[in-house]
Amino acid sequence: MAIIETPNGFNLDDSGRRIVVDPVTRIEGHMRCEVNLDEDNFIRNAVSTGTMWRGLEVILKDRDPRDAWAFVQRICGVCTGTHALTSVRAVEDALNIDIPENANSIRNIMQLSLQVHDHLVHFYHLHALDWVNPVNALKADPRATSELQQKVSPSHAKSSPGYFRDIQTRIRRFIESGQLGPFKNGYWTNPAYLLPPEADLMALTHYLEALDFQKEIMTVRTIFGGKDTHPNWLVGGVPCAIDMDSPGAPINMERLNYVRSITERTIQFVKNVYVPDVIAIGGFYKSWLYGGGLASQNVMSYGDIPDRANDYSTENLMMPRGAIINGNLDEVHEIDLRDPDEIQEFVPHSWYKYPDGAKGLHPWDGITEAQYELGPNLIGTKTNIERIDEGGKYSWIKAPRWKGHAMEVGPLARYIIGYAKGDEYITDQINSTLRALDVPLPALFSTLGRTAARALESQWAAEKQLYFLDKLIANIKNGDSSTANTEKFDPSTWPSEIKGMGFTEAPRGALGHWIKIKDTKIENYQCVVPTTWNGSPRDAEGNIGAFEASLLDTKVEVPEEPVEILRTLHSFDPCLACSTHVMSPDGEELANVKVR
Amino acid sequence: MSDVSKTKQEAVYVYQAPIRIWHWVQAFAILALGITGYLIGSPPPSLGGEASDYYLFGWIRYIHFVAAYITVIGFVFRIYWAFVGNSHAREIFLPPVWRPRFWVGVWHEILWYAMLVKEPRKYEGHNPLAVLAMHFMYVWGITFMIITGFSMYGESTGFGTWQHTYFTTWVNPLFGQSQDVHTWHHIGMWVIIVFVMIHVYVAVREDIMSRQSIISSMISGWRQFKDDRPADKD
Amino acid sequence: MHETFYDVMRRQGITRRSFLKYCSLAAGALGLSPAFAPQIAHAMENKPRIPVLWLHGLECTCCSESFIRSAHPLAKDVILSMISLDYDNVIMAAAGEAAQAIIEETIEKYDGNFILAVEGNAPLGEDGMYCITAGKPFVDELTRVSQHAKAIISWGSCASWGCVQAARPNPTRATPTHKIPGIADKPIIKVPGCPPISEVMTAVITYMLTFEKLPELDNQGRPKMFYSQRIHDKCYRRGHFDAGQFVEKFDDEGAKKGYCLYKVGCKGPTTYNACSTIRWNGGLSFPIQAGHPCIGCSEDGFWDKGGFYERLSDIKGFGIEANADEIGKTAALIVGGAVAVHAGASVIKRIASKGDDA
Ligand code: SF4
Ligand code: SF4
Repeated sequence: MAIIETPNGFNLDDSGRRIVVDPVTRIEGHMRCEVNLDEDNFIRNAVSTGTMWRGLEVILKDRDPRDAWAFVQRICGVCTGTHALTSVRAVEDALNIDIPENANSIRNIMQLSLQVHDHLVHFYHLHALDWVNPVNALKADPRATSELQQKVSPSHAKSSPGYFRDIQTRIRRFIESGQLGPFKNGYWTNPAYLLPPEADLMALTHYLEALDFQKEIMTVRTIFGGKDTHPNWLVGGVPCAIDMDSPGAPINMERLNYVRSITERTIQFVKNVYVPDVIAIGGFYKSWLYGGGLASQNVMSYGDIPDRANDYSTENLMMPRGAIINGNLDEVHEIDLRDPDEIQEFVPHSWYKYPDGAKGLHPWDGITEAQYELGPNLIGTKTNIERIDEGGKYSWIKAPRWKGHAMEVGPLARYIIGYAKGDEYITDQINSTLRALDVPLPALFSTLGRTAARALESQWAAEKQLYFLDKLIANIKNGDSSTANTEKFDPSTWPSEIKGMGFTEAPRGALGHWIKIKDTKIENYQCVVPTTWNGSPRDAEGNIGAFEASLLDTKVEVPEEPVEILRTLHSFDPCLACSTHVMSPDGEELANVKVR
Repeated sequence: MSDVSKTKQEAVYVYQAPIRIWHWVQAFAILALGITGYLIGSPPPSLGGEASDYYLFGWIRYIHFVAAYITVIGFVFRIYWAFVGNSHAREIFLPPVWRPRFWVGVWHEILWYAMLVKEPRKYEGHNPLAVLAMHFMYVWGITFMIITGFSMYGESTGFGTWQHTYFTTWVNPLFGQSQDVHTWHHIGMWVIIVFVMIHVYVAVREDIMSRQSIISSMISGWRQFKDDRPADKD
Repeated sequence: MHETFYDVMRRQGITRRSFLKYCSLAAGALGLSPAFAPQIAHAMENKPRIPVLWLHGLECTCCSESFIRSAHPLAKDVILSMISLDYDNVIMAAAGEAAQAIIEETIEKYDGNFILAVEGNAPLGEDGMYCITAGKPFVDELTRVSQHAKAIISWGSCASWGCVQAARPNPTRATPTHKIPGIADKPIIKVPGCPPISEVMTAVITYMLTFEKLPELDNQGRPKMFYSQRIHDKCYRRGHFDAGQFVEKFDDEGAKKGYCLYKVGCKGPTTYNACSTIRWNGGLSFPIQAGHPCIGCSEDGFWDKGGFYERLSDIKGFGIEANADEIGKTAALIVGGAVAVHAGASVIKRIASKGDDA
């Protein structure tokens, strides 16, 4: 192919050495990544492949729309609940159901606690090992670590030298046992790890602290949803009835106090541990401002967290909504998720086929028909892929486009849009972070920018969680304890043909579900999820998606140990079970499965 | 049939006393099982107040279980009686499906019910179609209900109890899971309800239109004949 | 030097004395005489952690998410001190070839002595390429690794039964572990649930480590200690069930009073799991306590048993879908109608034939 320029302005050159990362680990689901390096080890071409596919939408056909949330919730157990929330919103939209204020507050609390949990677990347990070297932590002086800790976060209580010494001893014994568990075969001698030992020890300690604390964050959802992972939801509201004076009500004073206590501790943890860690680690990697990709050009957010119930207008959404094109921060475009010309999915490079191959389809009219076939330049066989051919079909992910543009979605996109719109809270956070790190605004459009946006957003989300708890209590105080609108719960009250759409901002970005209901059963269900946007393969014009764009021009120090690729991919927090959502049976039956 | 004998046909003693008692006990048990079973699947409107004040659903289930045990004990006895009782006691357990004459009889009964023949045949015990219906709808139907019933009962008596060991352990996986067993047991209920409807109707009709007594026989045990021609054998 | 079980206990403040007492209790539980206690103590003080390869097929990672939420023991302690979680693509540092090398190394070094934990399941459709690992079908990796494992844990409803991707029409032919052709004949422990309760997951592991044997399983392969009773058997709303007090609609008076959820579809009476005893997230709550009916997530094929808010299951067939009551009522109506017609016809015929006779 030699060098080509994509319509969205990236140069691709696949002539150099090809390296393959499969499986990409520390993500949800299954993914493969191939890149070409030039002689100086810079990435000149990147190919990301979604390598799993489950077919939830086909399974959903003909089911009871009130049950759909439970099915789609199982799209992903990491962002557990966000699909369910999107689903009940889509069904409520179709049926014109207004939910009670309390239900809105409770749903928001659940969704916000997911944001915090997901971001926190992502940073410490899926992402940190790209930056933090646990083996190096053994060299740290616990006293120096203690000093560092007190400097970066004076209010975090666990900062004594003895505390760090204990942890270090424990890690030492673990590593010296020779059984390295999750740390096994990491690239621990790679020069790309830049933290001094005491920072490594501090971060590793917080890896463990966060592992202990994350389970507390989610208990909020156990209170309202009965369990976590995968809490329970309800079309028309929430299932947990409120009665302050009944001994049998799911929600009473004790339960609300529990939520408050967890919420307050969550705010503290994010403020004293998560955010300072990201800034401290970022300080050591200031040279690493690669990985912007699409972030400096096209970003999009659907918005979420309606302040008042049932109002999904841009003004009422507390998470910013809009789209930015070609890096023009001065103009934030309105988006319309119902317009057939705005959001469309393409499949020329995905393992699906459309009657008209090059055309895009709006999700309400989406077709899902599998076609597992590999390009002519494949090296290997159908069941043993050595080098994939990105000229042909190469991924189980479709390629969604907004008005023809490849978009990046996610916390960074939300923060850029919030910044562009002049949202005070967001602007303050971004400015103070840039100041703390002493870097200019463009530094935001990078791998680290994504990682930092996630931390800042967690802080926002934890505080908003408290806002909605107060709102819930105030509303109960005003005498409104209703939690569900069951007027239209009985399917016999439904019109025979209806359609609806629901959206949220999942931790990983913009998420939409489109549903068509016919005679009380699901006729068509389509999800366009964040990783479909970010991990999308090329489209007919050759525009590349966010993953591929972000990898370009990054230097891989040691090609056998591509930690740099992991850093950037992980900064998106890929979720492959989410993105590869559609499905059809194998072989000759393919032609029968057309989901419209 | 054409060869009509002149001998006078006396009443025959068909249903021995234990069979008669069993029949009516079973009838009332099935009635109770059907009503309570339906209510277990579709409970009556909720009662307010405190749980400690009521035991309504508990009673419904309790009646169901008592009636079920009565049915089981009755059924076991009925099988026993098939061995020790008279030849009619065996009829519904062993339809002589290997005998062509039996099928000729079945066909004749079908024609009779379709009102295509003028006259039914005459039987001391059940007519062949009734034997078939009793065998498949009742004998197998009740067996199915007993097995699935015990399987579900074993779920509450719990691990290690005989109901659980001998039923739940294999019935649940056989059907898929407990919910499937419930569903099939529920369908079984409807099969038996439908059977009972037909059974009662046919008994009344036969009592009026056939050549022998039906309902009174199940009370007195004696089968009266309305004409003097000899009885048909299966 | 590595941290052993004993070290963990010591670190958690357990004295040597009570550690030894624990060992003799353990000996008792194993049916051994107290004389074996020192041997057990020795084993616990010196044994290397057992390697675990945790493979992921088609899944949603909710099982891993649940696992890390374990309150006792903490997931941290399980990973650092009890097992050696050498491969788990969700949390492992290594990726690509470096990751795959761990599988080979473990097979070589610990052949027959490691635990294979499976989360999710393998699709058999499209030659297995609906789930690809290192360019090859996941199912190949799974069957190969199983040959060398000591025992297999099937985490969650995916690995145990098939779960959501195996729901009708199971487009990828997703297949639970024990039904995969070529899976090794090794003991398989099913820990179903979507996901299983965190503390149940860690308890299954610690049981095996503590008592050095597999937990006792029921005839479907589930640990008896957690799966031999239904939610309904230990549900705190059972009193309302027996009383006949039900939630008729969400958020009605009954819902506020905590009545039984049977009428809004609770599958507690048909679901074997520990939610009503152990409860979720450190014993905090469980679905029914939070007002939602049990959806039966630990049961085989729970997705296909009719609506989650219906009492009676739907039965598919003949192109229609109806529950047992609908089918039964229809059948009874048809038969009742037929009886009436037949009776009428009989009467007419009788009158007619009477006329003949006369
Ligand atoms: S068992 Fe069900 S639940 Fe667990 S990973 Fe699988 S989809 Fe998620
Ligand atoms: S809520 Fe469910 S599990 Fe509890 S008693 Fe009622 S039916 Fe049983």
